[in-house]
Amino acid sequence: MTTKSTHAVELRAVTRRYGAGERAVTALDAIDATFAAGTFTAVMGPSGSGKSTLLHCAAGLDRVTAGDVLIDGTPVAGLGERALTRLRRDRVGFVFQAFNLVPALTAAQNVALPMRLAGRRPAAGEVTAALAEVGLSGRAGHRPAELSGGQQQRVAIARALVTRPAVLFADEPTGALDATSGAEVLRLLRDAVDRHGRTVVMVTHDPYAAAHADRVLFLADGRVVDALSGPADAEHIAVRTARLEAARATGAAGDATSSGGRATGDAGRSTSDNDSAVTR
Amino acid sequence: MSAAWAMVRHRFASFAGTFVAVALGVAVLAASATLQLSSKPQAPARYDAAPLLVLPPETGTNDYGEPERPNWTPSEATDLAGKLTSLPGVTAAVPDPSFYIQRLIDGKATGDPQASRINGHAWSSAALGGYQLAAGRPPTKAGEVAAAGTTPGERIEVLTARGPETWTVTGTVIDNGHHAGFFVADSVAFARASGVPLIGLTLTGDDGWVAAAARALIGPAGVVLAGADRDQLEPGSVSRIRWIGAQLLIVLVALGAFATVFVVSSTCALSAAQRRRELGLLRAVGATPGQVRRMMYAETTLIALFAGVIGAPIGALFAPLLADPMVETGLEPPGFAATWQPLALAGAVLVGLFAALAGVVVAARRASRISPLDALRESAADPRPMPPSRWVTGIASAAAGGALLAVMPSLSNASKTTAGLGAAMLLITAAALLSPVLIVPIVRLLAAPWRNSATGMLVREGTLTGVRRVASTAAPVLATVGLTVLLTGMIATIEVASGIDEAAEYPVANLLVPLNTPGLSEAAVATQSGTSRLPTRVQVTVPTTTRGYDGAGLTGPESSPVGPAGGVGERPGSEAGAGAVLHADTAGELGVAAGATIALRFADGTRAELPVLAVDPNAEAPIVLPRALVRAHDPDALTDMVVLNGPATEAAGAESLPVATYVQREVDDEGRLVDLFLWAMISLSAGYTGIAVGNTLLMAVAARRAELRVLRLAGATRRQILGVLAAESLLAVGVGAVLGAAVAAISLLGIRAAVESELGQAVTLVIPWTAAAAVTTGCALIALVAAAVPTLHRPTGP
Repeated sequence: MTTKSTHAVELRAVTRRYGAGERAVTALDAIDATFAAGTFTAVMGPSGSGKSTLLHCAAGLDRVTAGDVLIDGTPVAGLGERALTRLRRDRVGFVFQAFNLVPALTAAQNVALPMRLAGRRPAAGEVTAALAEVGLSGRAGHRPAELSGGQQQRVAIARALVTRPAVLFADEPTGALDATSGAEVLRLLRDAVDRHGRTVVMVTHDPYAAAHADRVLFLADGRVVDALSGPADAEHIAVRTARLEAARATGAAGDATSSGGRATGDAGRSTSDNDSAVTR
Repeated sequence: MSAAWAMVRHRFASFAGTFVAVALGVAVLAASATLQLSSKPQAPARYDAAPLLVLPPETGTNDYGEPERPNWTPSEATDLAGKLTSLPGVTAAVPDPSFYIQRLIDGKATGDPQASRINGHAWSSAALGGYQLAAGRPPTKAGEVAAAGTTPGERIEVLTARGPETWTVTGTVIDNGHHAGFFVADSVAFARASGVPLIGLTLTGDDGWVAAAARALIGPAGVVLAGADRDQLEPGSVSRIRWIGAQLLIVLVALGAFATVFVVSSTCALSAAQRRRELGLLRAVGATPGQVRRMMYAETTLIALFAGVIGAPIGALFAPLLADPMVETGLEPPGFAATWQPLALAGAVLVGLFAALAGVVVAARRASRISPLDALRESAADPRPMPPSRWVTGIASAAAGGALLAVMPSLSNASKTTAGLGAAMLLITAAALLSPVLIVPIVRLLAAPWRNSATGMLVREGTLTGVRRVASTAAPVLATVGLTVLLTGMIATIEVASGIDEAAEYPVANLLVPLNTPGLSEAAVATQSGTSRLPTRVQVTVPTTTRGYDGAGLTGPESSPVGPAGGVGERPGSEAGAGAVLHADTAGELGVAAGATIALRFADGTRAELPVLAVDPNAEAPIVLPRALVRAHDPDALTDMVVLNGPATEAAGAESLPVATYVQREVDDEGRLVDLFLWAMISLSAGYTGIAVGNTLLMAVAARRAELRVLRLAGATRRQILGVLAAESLLAVGVGAVLGAAVAAISLLGIRAAVESELGQAVTLVIPWTAAAAVTTGCALIALVAAAVPTLHRPTGP
């Protein structure tokens, strides 16, 4: 049994299938993964590899077909909609690619929203401090439409962190930003881990963004096919990604001629195994 | 609540539809309720100087639930008045007999026919209104009269129950503009009136104290009314006018509330669908489904209260402006004025709030089921346009509406319109709920001719993928077209049918009927060759019970009609040879058979015992009496009509008509009011349609700006985009019109079947094509403007 203190999020043999019967699509295929507290993990993979589904399932936004998800030691399975919402509210923070903020509310109101929804008044200075942390102390009264894309993402980070969640999930947080704003967002996420001991799980397709993480998980066809530990440089990550894409293309070509869908997954796995062997 | 406030402030545009619908609804409710509350029964001004009024005791209630108070005889009333005068604090106790009188000018009866039934009074009753003579002297003998607007010495033509007469004016009455009527000598009034219905008291003492003393004095011999209780003496003619007005106001209130719920629900559904991402985001950052639902309720509450606070004063301002038109159209009595009714305004705001909340229930439930993942979806695709709950409510509404239509024939005429309106609302709701299922085939059908052009393709596919959006636009059109076609068609069909029905009752070709009079005088009837019945009201006592019945005096071979000279004070000394024929139902209720004796109390208060000559299941009235006997005891009775069997003799206040013309006129008279009701209902619902269609399209077009930009980038000219939007709007209106007409047609067929089975005769179905076309065209114009304005306003160029 994993104890609560070591893993912020744990996935045990998680499978997520969409649809039923002949046309069923397996987005996650019996994935095991753990995200230790105080770490920054990037999840990468070609589009359709299941990286977004992984994030949604790990965050309790989406239900799993089989397997268990534990957030901060609490199993998600069996929780009702209300209990699940509370768990998300208390232990999980989110930063999406875009549309993170309620347009009707000011930056400060957006940051205070999770606390308001939990029925408590933010402590004096709590919201101001959170905004100051992301360098937006002067923008508390601005509405999202009056902020740049990068500033909006920073407000989203402030909101995600203000409740001191067990884990912060970021889904392509820099995807819609220019390089400078993106770098700023990534620095804030890195700071959250380094200075405040938060746990961050970030889905990205950008090797430069992934390079900010402590660990990179590579997904293909619903499985974890590779992992890189320790700070890795962007170039290195890009090479891995390219290989994965290439293997996938080969696998897909093979798939067209062979009989089963499993072939793709196996091809991906064997390639990546070889690859990691080479790298080590 | 603070989040809701922020939402409302920020997204006011998307709440505008709800706002306008609720504000308009509250204004209609506030104006209607103000008018209704202002319209209160009031004691006739003729009793302004009489703080206490004494009525004969109640013997029971009539078929309409009104108290039955048989009149006192003149001697009973005089005795009682004598006793009351002796009470300390009483200046005078005046018996108040009233009789029918109208002034004839150039041989034509003038004034309001119904009010004229109690327009003649005893001179001593002038004191009850505090009226005095400006000139001349009081009338003292037959042929003398005092009235306002006349000069002493003038000779005037009047029409009474006896016939036309020429009287001499002895005095000019100052009646303070009350239309107090004609005053004659007391003895003349007693002779002409059918008994005494009231004794009025003028006082010097305290009202309450004298009232208590009077009650103690007379005991069960009379009922003493003081203060506001006097208002129940409002004349029946005035009550009826107010009742008709109340019906219209009730219809307006019901329709206003229904339309508000309808428009708010369609606007909220669309707005919730458009806010899917935002609501998903709220769910993702920790809002529970309950919090999302409560937020939507809170938003709607804020909007509805705000709208109510704007709408209620508008309604209050409009109410006085409507008072005069209502008096002119005969929906309120003369002198009616709208007064300040804070309760009406508060009530309207509350009803508006509840209507809005009722409208948002479904949208809020759907919104609370939005998944947090919706925050990540770019487009607000609506995967399930027909959730099971929508099927269930849709089918249930259809069933309830159908059931209401099915039972309609068995309802009374008064409830038929209400039932028809209820059925229409239910069926329209059903059609609106089920419309997403029907839209696809209808769109394919309507758009078929243009399937090969680019615009045609865009329109068709855009509509088929946005079924919910089309349904939102089509729903109000459906409601208006359906309501218009159904109501006008239903009423026209029933009118045609009731024409057939009533014509069947009169076999003879010509009738003598009242002309601006409440009935025919004895002189008018006596000169004709034909048959008639003289209606009266009698109280019948058998050992176990006393009940009131409508009686009819019949001219039969055994009793010849009495001439106009039924002399003053003449009372038949003996009822020898006279007897009553009872309808089988009456005999059954009283438990008597032919040969029994019944005790009667006539309209004038006199009592008599009569043998039951026969019990007849086909009797023309519950109690049939010799005409002479009725005339003797109901000197003020008027004949409804004479069925002529020869040429008519000209008579004042009467005219001769073929049966068909008369029936048509009766139907038309009723039709005039019905048309007024229809006009009010249709314009109200058309107004709501305008708001709903305009608002839905504005929201839809604004939300599709990105899509339109893509079209522009793909090479569409602005002209083409406008064409696509216009065509889509027209298509939605077309869908609504087709569905509305279909609902109406089905219901009309049901109504016709019901009417036919009731009459046992084929009835023509009247379909108001013109009304349907007019309403549809109106909707189409509004739709075009609403679709074009945002496109023209903001360039959709790249």
